Amino acid sequence: MTGRRLFGHQPHIAQARRDAWLDGLRVVAPALIALFAWGLVTGVAMVKSGLTQWQALGMSLLLFAGSAQLAALPLIAADAPIWVVLLTTAVVNLRFVIFTAGLYPYFRHLPLPRRMLLGYFTGDVSFALSVSRWTTQPLPEHGSRERTWFYLGICSGTWVVWQVSSVAGIFLGGGIPGTWGLDFVAILALLALVLPMIAGGPTIAGALVAGVVAVLAAGAPLKLGLVVAVLAGISVAMAVDILLERMDRHR
Amino acid sequence: MSAAEVWITIVLMTVVTVATRTVMLVFGDRIPLPERVQHALRFAPACALTALIAPELLTEQGAWAISLANAKLIAGAIAIAVMLSTRSMIATMGIGMAAYLALRHFG
Repeated sequence: MTGRRLFGHQPHIAQARRDAWLDGLRVVAPALIALFAWGLVTGVAMVKSGLTQWQALGMSLLLFAGSAQLAALPLIAADAPIWVVLLTTAVVNLRFVIFTAGLYPYFRHLPLPRRMLLGYFTGDVSFALSVSRWTTQPLPEHGSRERTWFYLGICSGTWVVWQVSSVAGIFLGGGIPGTWGLDFVAILALLALVLPMIAGGPTIAGALVAGVVAVLAAGAPLKLGLVVAVLAGISVAMAVDILLERMDRHR
Repeated sequence: MSAAEVWITIVLMTVVTVATRTVMLVFGDRIPLPERVQHALRFAPACALTALIAPELLTEQGAWAISLANAKLIAGAIAIAVMLSTRSMIATMGIGMAAYLALRHFG
């Protein structure tokens, strides 16, 4: 039985795991519609930017990281050096360092390979839904099993929907004429992703500076303007952050 | 990039992505993140994504293009308004794309 292989042989533990897993799926369900659209767009954008269908499939299945994928596409298309693509990937993914640092207390007791597996499946949606739930409804100490399987429920939902929609986009994208300007959908998707992140003085200042510097340095060789823009943005954001902190203290 | 370079890029991107997602779960107790560093990391994604988007909306052929004739800029502004008022990603992409196509077609 696949059920037994998935959830284990002891009936009461299997039941608890299955319930927690289903609970995770239920919680993630409403977010899956948006995720489907986002995956579809990413799939189309990958083949429209010049990746072959196999490369696009490989990227989707291996990375499972929409914003990093979308961010890398214009760089790959513009023949940027690989290290610039990797640096961009790292910067766009830096939020996962923060997310998984937040998840660590809940998964501390698990063996290393499982912690790594849960980390691999961590995305914006799974982090947001799980931690917000766990901080508002703290489970008793013995609830770690429920937490893990609840998290797995969320992640299995996001992973399957992401891959199915990406694959659909990859195969649909090839049939859509380039003149439709679908590459602009990827920019709009990034826009929708970044706007909720830009909240609070430091981030607003940093993003403004990063945007302006990116435009001014757009002609720089090797797409280095992007690197300079990000560094300038972070520096300004940190400066504003420190400034606001000091003003707070003086009040 | 050649096909081989694209594959190398994809594999290395995977390594980088897995590293960012697992490093704290592997070394959680051994890497206490100072608050200052946490703040800096929190600003990074917004700065990086804005730096990627801005030239796409504000320039055409490498020069500033802040005018009503720039379909991407106008459609982008509409998309920003939609996202800020509805918080819906699907509406943002749908209306933004419709505006872009309409502006290019009739503009």
